[in-house]
Amino acid sequence: MKSFNLLLAGVGGQGILLAAEILGTAAVYEGLNVRVSEVHGAAQRGGAVVSNIRIGKNVLAPTMVEGTADVILGLEPLETLRNVKFASEKTLVLMNSEVITPTGIFLKIREVNLPSLETIIRNIRFFTDRIIVVDALELARKAGNVLTQNIVLIGALAATEELPIKTGTLEGAIKELVPTNYIEVNLRAFNLGYDYVKSMR
Amino acid sequence: MPPKPETLLQDKAGKQVLLLGNEAIARGVIEAGIGIVTTYPGTPASEIGDTVSKLASKAGIYMEYSVNEKVAVEVAAGAAVCGARALTAMKHVGLNVAADAVMTLAYIGVRGGYVIVTADDPECYSSQNEQDNRLYALLSNLPCLEPSNPQECKDMVRYAVQISEKLELPVLLRTVTRVSHTRGPVIYGSIDKPRLKGMLKRDVQRFVAVPRHARPMHDRLLEKVERAKEISESSPYNRVVRKADNGKIGIISSSAAYNYAVEATELLGLNVSLLKLGMSHPLPEGIITQFLEEHEKIIVVEELEPYLEVQVKALAKDCVPKVEIYGKMRGQYFLRSSEFSTRIVVEGLAKITGLKLPIDFISIEQKYEEVSQTLIRRSPVLCAGCPHRASFYVLKRATNGKALFPTDIGCYALGIAPPLSVGDLLICMGASIGTAGGVSKATEVDTIAIVGDSTFFHAGIPALVNAVYNNHKFTLVVVDNLTTAMTGNQPHPGTGKTGMGTHGKRVVIEEVARGCGVRFVKVINPFEVEEAIRAVKEALRTSGVSVVVFRAPCALLLVREKRRLGERLESCWITEACNNCMACIKLLGCPALVIKNGNVTINEALCTGCGLCAHVCPYKAIRLPE
Repeated sequence: MKSFNLLLAGVGGQGILLAAEILGTAAVYEGLNVRVSEVHGAAQRGGAVVSNIRIGKNVLAPTMVEGTADVILGLEPLETLRNVKFASEKTLVLMNSEVITPTGIFLKIREVNLPSLETIIRNIRFFTDRIIVVDALELARKAGNVLTQNIVLIGALAATEELPIKTGTLEGAIKELVPTNYIEVNLRAFNLGYDYVKSMR
Repeated sequence: MPPKPETLLQDKAGKQVLLLGNEAIARGVIEAGIGIVTTYPGTPASEIGDTVSKLASKAGIYMEYSVNEKVAVEVAAGAAVCGARALTAMKHVGLNVAADAVMTLAYIGVRGGYVIVTADDPECYSSQNEQDNRLYALLSNLPCLEPSNPQECKDMVRYAVQISEKLELPVLLRTVTRVSHTRGPVIYGSIDKPRLKGMLKRDVQRFVAVPRHARPMHDRLLEKVERAKEISESSPYNRVVRKADNGKIGIISSSAAYNYAVEATELLGLNVSLLKLGMSHPLPEGIITQFLEEHEKIIVVEELEPYLEVQVKALAKDCVPKVEIYGKMRGQYFLRSSEFSTRIVVEGLAKITGLKLPIDFISIEQKYEEVSQTLIRRSPVLCAGCPHRASFYVLKRATNGKALFPTDIGCYALGIAPPLSVGDLLICMGASIGTAGGVSKATEVDTIAIVGDSTFFHAGIPALVNAVYNNHKFTLVVVDNLTTAMTGNQPHPGTGKTGMGTHGKRVVIEEVARGCGVRFVKVINPFEVEEAIRAVKEALRTSGVSVVVFRAPCALLLVREKRRLGERLESCWITEACNNCMACIKLLGCPALVIKNGNVTINEALCTGCGLCAHVCPYKAIRLPE
């Protein structure tokens, strides 16, 4: 099996580490070899956060090489663009539409403008045309908790059928890893993300 | 999100689970029958102690968060000379603090197996430097193991205990961020009963390092190094993992760099032999010599210092002088700074071998350069509701921004960023207080040292005593958020909670300060802004050293506690009196204050209702939650 490279990008506090652990655990459930890279400590305080999930028999390194992502799962558009050099024209970019403004912008430390979602998408197209945008905030709200945007996107990812992991296995990993009283809302979020992408196709 | 820690106690040899490198080390503790674990938290090592802390009472292990790394080593060493199996975990710079104890403990040795984990941080992800602690192995003469993945993290704990007991010597287990913070599948082994109890049989020639004893101790240590070399020669972790059919190029590597090296050779289609060194001190000179003899060119792939390269070259000079050796000395093919990646190794190998790059990195970079024009930096910030924001606002107001602020290691180092911009000098744990003494001697400016609660206990107290004794003139502000926040909210002496989850005796910062001889000591909630400003001004007028403790709990603790109860914190709200003057945003830079369609709004998901913005609003347009 060719190795599968998934990059998660977002902002500290969005639940990237949990998303990465769910995906990694599901891979182990499937009997696959996997490496998940994480960032802890300072970077988590509202900073840019990246995690790599690499699946495959020969995978050793926890991080991937530029231009070799199979999927970039963007929890936030700016952070997706920040990591776009890991994409090639074959890469699927699955991205949340909700832009989180860096606090620095409001302070006007430098005169910079926040790029619009359209600008960000246009820039991602320099690398790949395979882009799916999901309003994960709206779907998470519908599920009952805005903090489940990460799980909405995992559901959406499952629906693309790019992952070498079965949908049921992902749901099993969610049940295993989220606190018991949050299982229901997270599974709802997962299904809303899943259905959204399925309905697009 | 914490994994379910009790699964780490399962006595199910052969079971496969996904573990973080640090969790795998904790599982290794359980399997290896280690009876005592000590630590001071620090990224990227923290999850080792934290995971053991959650399991300790169930597993029959004694675990403590020690006040600093030196004390952590001393507590564990005390148990290990009595025959207990012990492990101490710390980040790389923690070993500097512990070095005094470690260097002479190497002379004395241990009786129960003792493992010292040092987690290095190439790229300084959460550290003040990126020192390579393999050099401590050379300096101390202690054996050193370097795992490359979570499975090895776990397995090497038991292996380190075995070596330690065979040689009666502590063993270093050196990880890096990309090993400690990588998840991978781990197959469980069997579990030994934890060994905590023993006895110290009096033997002063062995255990008391006075000069007369220390000289023969040094010779005994050097004899142990010779025996360690034999272990290294036959170690299952030092092995040729791949053999090229043409004998031209051989790669020597260890740790995280090994992973990149293997994948880089595959990407390049490079036909090479690979020697992996899992035990990197002392080196297996026989294995390496044979590897050198079998190849025309040797490439050493290692992060940070040319630790392997220097030794391999020295060996080659004596044994195989004709072999060509490529590495990073004189900056030729690899850098001595920053972490590696598969790409960096691909580029280095391509340069050495003349092979074409498998990926057109230049065109990727050119394209990226274009699209990244629109990118905006997203630096970490103090959380919404963080009491440090209030403390820094108070300090700026109290001094009109005209004081000098030696600061320290912790979340509050983020205070250097605008708009708060507090913090002028930062070296290492506790240095705010020591350096404040020098800054106040060398300048005529008000000096305010800023230190966190955990950092104060870690290394601040001797510096405070020094300042009182030598009559320094500065104000020490202890920003006490009642936790070790940056590393994951571990307890410390000021919280009174212990690593075993029990209540110890709380050590109170203001009592310590008074006990050190400080006359002016005040404790204030920094959210009581005006009162806090008065206290700082008063402290600055005092002669000698004054101490102000700003005490308010970490916002993350508040938020988590509420979330656990299924509740949420009520947020502040903006009334119609707001005329969008932006003062709140410009003064505080709180992530919960955002501008939407030109209007200041409050992000209710982030706001904790601390009310600092309400205090600074000139139009009283922000209301606190009911």
